[in-house]
Amino acid sequence: MKNLFKFRKIAVFLLGLVLFTSCDETLSEINTNPYGIDPANANPNLLMPTVLSAAAQNYLQLGYNDLAGAMQYTQKNGWYGGHNNYSWEARDWAGWYDILRTNDLMLSRGEDLDNAFFQGVGLTMKSFVFGNITDLWGDAPYIDALQGDEGGDQFQFPKFDSQEVIYDGIIADLQAASSLLGSASSEGVTSGNDIIYGGNSNHWQRFSNSLLLRYYMRLSVKKPDVAKAGIEAIYSSGNYIQDPSQDANLDYTGGANDIWVSRHVRLNPDDFQRFQACQTFVDQLTMTNDPRLTVWFDSVRVQWVADETLAVEAESFIRANGEPIDVIYTYDEFEEQYADVKFTRHFNPNMADYNTDLYVGLPPSLLIPESYNGNPIPGQGTQNLHVSQLDPIYGSPGSPGDILKARMMTAAEVSFIFAEAALKGWNVGDAETHYNKGVEQSLEIWGKSDMYDDFIAQPSVAFNNTLEQVMTQKWVSNWTNGTEAFADYRRTGLPDLQTGPLSPQPEVALRFQYGDDEYNFNPDNLNAALNNLEVTSFSGNFGADSQWSKPWLYQGTTIPF
Amino acid sequence: MSIKGRGLEITSNLSNENITENENQFIMKKHRTKKMLKWMVPLLSVGILSTVSVLAEANGNPGIGSSFAPIITVEEMVAVTVRGKVTSTGDESGLPGVTILEKGTSNGSVTDIDGAYTIDVAGPGAVLVFSYVGFESQEIVVRNQTNINVSLEEAATAMNEVVVTALGIERDQRSLGYDVSTASAEDVTQVSQENVLSSLAGRMAGVTINQTSGPGSSMSVVIRGATSLTSDNQPLFVVDGVPMSNSLNNVSENGSGNQVDYGNAISDINPDDIASISVLKGPSAAALYGTRAGNGVVIITTKAGKKGKDMGVSFSTSNVFERPTRLLDFHYKYANGQREGVFNDGSAYWGGPQLDVGNLAPQWDSPLDENGNRIPTELRSYPNAMRDFLQTGITSNNNLAVSGGSDKATYRVSYANMLHQGMIPNSDLVRHNISTSVSYDIVEKLTFNTNFNYSNSSSNDRPSTSERNANPLEAVYNSSYIDYEGMKGIWIPGQEGIQQIRTPAGDNPYFIAYGMENAFRRDRIYGNVSLDYKISEDFNFMVRYSLDRSDENRETKIPFSYSRMERGGYYNSDLLTQESNADFLLSYKQDFGKLDFNASAGGNIMTRFGSSTNIGVGGDRNNGLVVPGIYNTQNIPADNRSVSSGYFKRAIYSIYGLASFGFDDQLYLDLTARNDWSSTLPLDNNSYFYPSASLSWLANYTLNLPENIDMLKARVGWAQVGNDTDPYNLLPLLSTGVYNDINTAAMPSSINNPNFLPEEATSIEGGIELNMFANRLRFSGTYYVIDNRNQIFAVNLPRSSGFSSRLINAGLIQSKGLELTLGGTPLNKNGWNLDVDLNWSRNRTSVLELVENFDQITLWGENGAGAITFIGEQIGDMYSRGFVEVQDPNSPYYKWPVLDNAGSWQRMNAVEDYRKVGNFNPDFILGMQTGLSYKRFVLNASFDWRQGGEFMSFTYRYGESDWKSQRQLDNLIPGGLYSEDELAALLKSNPDEYIIPRPGNFPRVGGHTAETGGFPIDENGSDGAFIPGVIQTAGADTPDNFADDVYVEHLGGSGTNVYPITNTYPWRFNEQVTFDASFIKLRELSLGYRIPNFSVFRNATFSVYTRNIMLWTKADIGIDPERAFWAGSGNQGRSGFRQGIERQNVMPWTVPVGFKLNFNL
Repeated sequence: MKNLFKFRKIAVFLLGLVLFTSCDETLSEINTNPYGIDPANANPNLLMPTVLSAAAQNYLQLGYNDLAGAMQYTQKNGWYGGHNNYSWEARDWAGWYDILRTNDLMLSRGEDLDNAFFQGVGLTMKSFVFGNITDLWGDAPYIDALQGDEGGDQFQFPKFDSQEVIYDGIIADLQAASSLLGSASSEGVTSGNDIIYGGNSNHWQRFSNSLLLRYYMRLSVKKPDVAKAGIEAIYSSGNYIQDPSQDANLDYTGGANDIWVSRHVRLNPDDFQRFQACQTFVDQLTMTNDPRLTVWFDSVRVQWVADETLAVEAESFIRANGEPIDVIYTYDEFEEQYADVKFTRHFNPNMADYNTDLYVGLPPSLLIPESYNGNPIPGQGTQNLHVSQLDPIYGSPGSPGDILKARMMTAAEVSFIFAEAALKGWNVGDAETHYNKGVEQSLEIWGKSDMYDDFIAQPSVAFNNTLEQVMTQKWVSNWTNGTEAFADYRRTGLPDLQTGPLSPQPEVALRFQYGDDEYNFNPDNLNAALNNLEVTSFSGNFGADSQWSKPWLYQGTTIPF
Repeated sequence: MSIKGRGLEITSNLSNENITENENQFIMKKHRTKKMLKWMVPLLSVGILSTVSVLAEANGNPGIGSSFAPIITVEEMVAVTVRGKVTSTGDESGLPGVTILEKGTSNGSVTDIDGAYTIDVAGPGAVLVFSYVGFESQEIVVRNQTNINVSLEEAATAMNEVVVTALGIERDQRSLGYDVSTASAEDVTQVSQENVLSSLAGRMAGVTINQTSGPGSSMSVVIRGATSLTSDNQPLFVVDGVPMSNSLNNVSENGSGNQVDYGNAISDINPDDIASISVLKGPSAAALYGTRAGNGVVIITTKAGKKGKDMGVSFSTSNVFERPTRLLDFHYKYANGQREGVFNDGSAYWGGPQLDVGNLAPQWDSPLDENGNRIPTELRSYPNAMRDFLQTGITSNNNLAVSGGSDKATYRVSYANMLHQGMIPNSDLVRHNISTSVSYDIVEKLTFNTNFNYSNSSSNDRPSTSERNANPLEAVYNSSYIDYEGMKGIWIPGQEGIQQIRTPAGDNPYFIAYGMENAFRRDRIYGNVSLDYKISEDFNFMVRYSLDRSDENRETKIPFSYSRMERGGYYNSDLLTQESNADFLLSYKQDFGKLDFNASAGGNIMTRFGSSTNIGVGGDRNNGLVVPGIYNTQNIPADNRSVSSGYFKRAIYSIYGLASFGFDDQLYLDLTARNDWSSTLPLDNNSYFYPSASLSWLANYTLNLPENIDMLKARVGWAQVGNDTDPYNLLPLLSTGVYNDINTAAMPSSINNPNFLPEEATSIEGGIELNMFANRLRFSGTYYVIDNRNQIFAVNLPRSSGFSSRLINAGLIQSKGLELTLGGTPLNKNGWNLDVDLNWSRNRTSVLELVENFDQITLWGENGAGAITFIGEQIGDMYSRGFVEVQDPNSPYYKWPVLDNAGSWQRMNAVEDYRKVGNFNPDFILGMQTGLSYKRFVLNASFDWRQGGEFMSFTYRYGESDWKSQRQLDNLIPGGLYSEDELAALLKSNPDEYIIPRPGNFPRVGGHTAETGGFPIDENGSDGAFIPGVIQTAGADTPDNFADDVYVEHLGGSGTNVYPITNTYPWRFNEQVTFDASFIKLRELSLGYRIPNFSVFRNATFSVYTRNIMLWTKADIGIDPERAFWAGSGNQGRSGFRQGIERQNVMPWTVPVGFKLNFNL
């Protein structure tokens, strides 16, 4: 061995002597990436847009997509598994925890830099994201989560915490955030990188307090005293989202990184045509002559006209301004070339049954939604001429300030929370005032403020002092915030949604199944958490981890089943 | 190893002719030079000089057996002393140690160090037998000669085969303690291939070659099975001492759905320049290459000139023509549409009205009436659409080489080009190679050597072949009813460059082929300069610098109206990689009588770096270009312009040494040692030492074996190899990006590891080689075990930990394998010669240990399961997502699927519910090469049989979910043709066939029309179908207690959920598209004729050949199982490749026909 080492020495010497390659870099210098950013020196201004954009976009994605289906705002006529029939097996939460990972770094950088703004924003967003996780799945890793880089089993395989622990943590964090934001300065904050509030710490404080309202109300059944005290305190502070100008929104700018149904849809017109109105929602909107209906949905391309004189069930052609034409046009051609033409198709009501309304939705969970209402060209990405799809604005490029936004929290939601609290007799003012304000604020953000007086005056809309009415209008105002509507539905059973034949169970599902990822890589802790789920008579073959099982928050109630 | 034997007959005949040639040499010389010049001029005007010294090889080995037959006549018996010198042919120096026997006596002698001998023989009638290991014996009748000089021919069989081993050291194969497979120049060029690797397929035991798609796409070479969990398992390529960078995944997506495979860099090598290829398979063989040799080493030696040879010119040209023969198993029975009664030209499904039965529909090319409306025309099928779309593929290879040498110098210059016109219109591939090799004796003991190679590979359009959207072939399969010939015009008149002719179902294939262009150009320079100094007879010193630099530009142009990018797009990327090595080697050799001793010591400094820049369309894919038809970066809207760059650098410093001992030409011992210092490992752990030892024993010289045995060799080798990791894997770095116009940063999801240890592979291999009957029967067998420890790989973490994976050192992964080769020359007389070589191999790799808390490794995940190996199980295992089934063995419905209330399979996502559906590794691979020659004709064939293994086909997953495959129609149970009771009885009569899902088929009952067994649904048709099974009505909440389970049959009775058939596809279950991967392929078949020399043309050969013909696949679905490689994200390790699963391999099978002519001047 000694000779060997000697040999090595000689060899190294020779190497240096003979070779003309310059070796002025040491090996470890070579392995230092000259272009990388060390997390320890990260500028939180760079991390903030990552967190904010992803959180708002994920929330919107759920809210207009699958949970809009569950809450019967929309249905899809192709690729509808998760949308129409609660095919929520193996939902990974990777996207949410990814946000939290970067948010954690922003938070710790805020602490390092002693910056109250980043700490406050970080805690607010942490609460927002964990709120979604526990709302949707139930128990989840919380206390030991997000520290996998610390090593060790405790952090690499975090245990699941009960929903109760998570909600309590959220409330504590939001209180801390509110207090930090109350004293935060704008020093060190690049306002342009705060893509929600432009660096306005007061608005952030209002957002965190409003989230507190949201989560106090979540707990109003399980922990009524905590909820009451919390909501009353915030109400009396006046420091919450009071006006749509304070809404927690991500603008839809038309830029390359926007994610909205519309951008999604422009990328893939087939997909646009898959999103159609749900009849449940259309019924509500038409019943109340809701001015928002025409903002959100387009009328049917071709309206059915009952005609008892027909010898056939239905004509195979359509009529332009009453005159038969042979061709069935596609959506784009309608929009651009035939804006003034009224297209109809005739059928004999004695032989067939079609929906003759100008706005027609798909009933929930249909077996064959693509064929509904006599669609002459059923297909998974093709237009249904006889069903309403999204309004064309959802297919437009968008620009800053448009009414299309990713809304994380609105003034309307806050108003409806206070209306509900007032109905409970809590000391938050008058229920009718809050209800009316909620309706008005929602009309405002959809550009229909001028219709408010007419709308609220209608008997079906005018305040009638029932929770059902408050929750129904809140449901309407939660359009594209399906996640929040979903939480309200599970808590209150309102609106009273009935599902359809394609649903594996005769009830609307209550939660997402845990994802493959945790099943594969964190099975022990996951299995322990399954014991905390209440199996219901609709849980089916999935057992505890069923979409129809109840997490802690809804256990012990009969709402909605 | 025994491949060389095939060329035997050819060369021996040639050399006989050469005898007369030599006599005329002086007269010929002038004449030839003149004529040669005449030929050279046009060739030069083509562009460049070139090469190939086929001459050199052709002058090689004369045939077996001497033509001097012993004629014994009775003469006076007078003792005679005979003297002489024994040399080897082609070398004037004497052969020491040759035994000379007087035949029939025990009288013998041995040559001295200069090859001289003296022997006293009985008289003129005596016959002397000259024999020497590795050479053909000769018998000579003494007659009245007293001075007999003999020139011995090297035996032209595996006996003495010289192979190139680690560090380029040439060794006698027989002395090696490990298995090395070789291929000769002839093997590589017999049949022209675009990529030199193609010619190795099926030739070597334990070497598996897969190609991802058609010509020009990447090829994978895996030696002795995949063992590394993180790398692409590709071997190290060393060309004339220059390590060449080569990677498997060369796919990049430029534009939405436009994935292009730009091919391996190793394809830059000109096959005609190759003199030999050695494959060092195990760590024992490769230990000296260290770190990068963990997956084996492919050593390529290129041709060089020879000293003292006049200038020779060789030329070869070949052309291959290719047409499609076998398409996908699609039915062309129904038009696009999701319902029987509804034609829908925007639907991806082939589930619409029947074709060719007079159904009318307004179609894209229907004539218009006076109002501009389309007049319905008949829906017809166009099953030949693919054949009509494809053109004849043509590949042309031309090569010109000039070589020669003086007393002091040798040279070789070669120029080659390859022109390929793909079967996909507008696709092409062009390569030019120039290589030079020069050696010069500066002073007596100092030699200067240099190789310089330049290659330029380029294409105007590489087709996108492994995805769906921008794949022109996939577009042909979009619609069953379209005659795409009519879309050849590409553009709607008046909207040229803006709007293609298409239907809503997908892009016009001609638009994709001609409009979307993926060009690339790669300039590669590789070569070395070295100085050899012969310090003394025993010492040699070499110092060398080598460089391999590749510069590549990729440019993609996408016109307006591409379905995924309505305003087109433009992409431009530059990629640079460079590796340099500086090394030295000090060698010593000494012959101590019975003991031969060789030793070498050396060192190496390797540095490699790469950089890339990419510009293209940003996240809004429908906002690609401002102005149509202008392709530059300025024309991408500024707010949607994506720019990125990348960089890496790494270095390894090494020293190494080897010593080999040969004892009495019988026993050989090799020892090697190497130490590496890698930049990618932590400073404390960046040095690793690894040794190897191998022993080879030629028992036939030790033992007294029967005469028929020419060689019996036993060998054993042991080695350890270390390995490092990728650069920058120690510490986390933020990833950066933009949100619209705001710069952002994010915490990466993978956890790096600052405490890596080097990986360590320990191998042991043993083998036996046996040659018998004058080497006409050759056998070798090798068994090996490789233990891989401390592998650096990523383990998945639950995302709730905040991270997706963590890089660790752990585990024990063990490969075991057996390789057998059998070669024979069953026929060798009357001018006939038949060689048959078989190689058989089997490799299994198991995961024996992992780190705590991990019982599985996921190579790739897909659709809820994937290629996952659990502890104790084998690499390559594949799983499909589970579904709910009846678990009670006592139930009459045992194993039936439990459907949900809507009548559909219910997914089960937990690991314990995974269904194992196979393993992507074959049970065994059998390769066979045969060569039959008769006089001037030579017939060669090479077969490859891979038995067993499975693959998943996403071509079929997409194709069948759109109801295009005939297979799926054939598997339907035509339930509508039966009464309710008959149907239930039928289904229950054989649940395994009709109800229970299995790989390849999830049973469904129904049909597309009433006549084919569909159930009535509504006014749109009787195309109803259902999924047979049961629905559970009680007991689901107590899964372990079967007593309370209640099931209702779902077999077509009342309450059965009937859907349009197009809604009944098991999309969530890959088991539906898991197939047996067994196949037999005819790799090469060639018939050659050696043209007699005339005028200045010598050694001319004309051959006709074909290659890569699929003869049989078990799956029989028109997919080549060999191409079950999917390039894309969600990777196998870090390679970005997924083995065992294929995606959109819609390229038809082909039968190429090629012609090749080569000659020397």
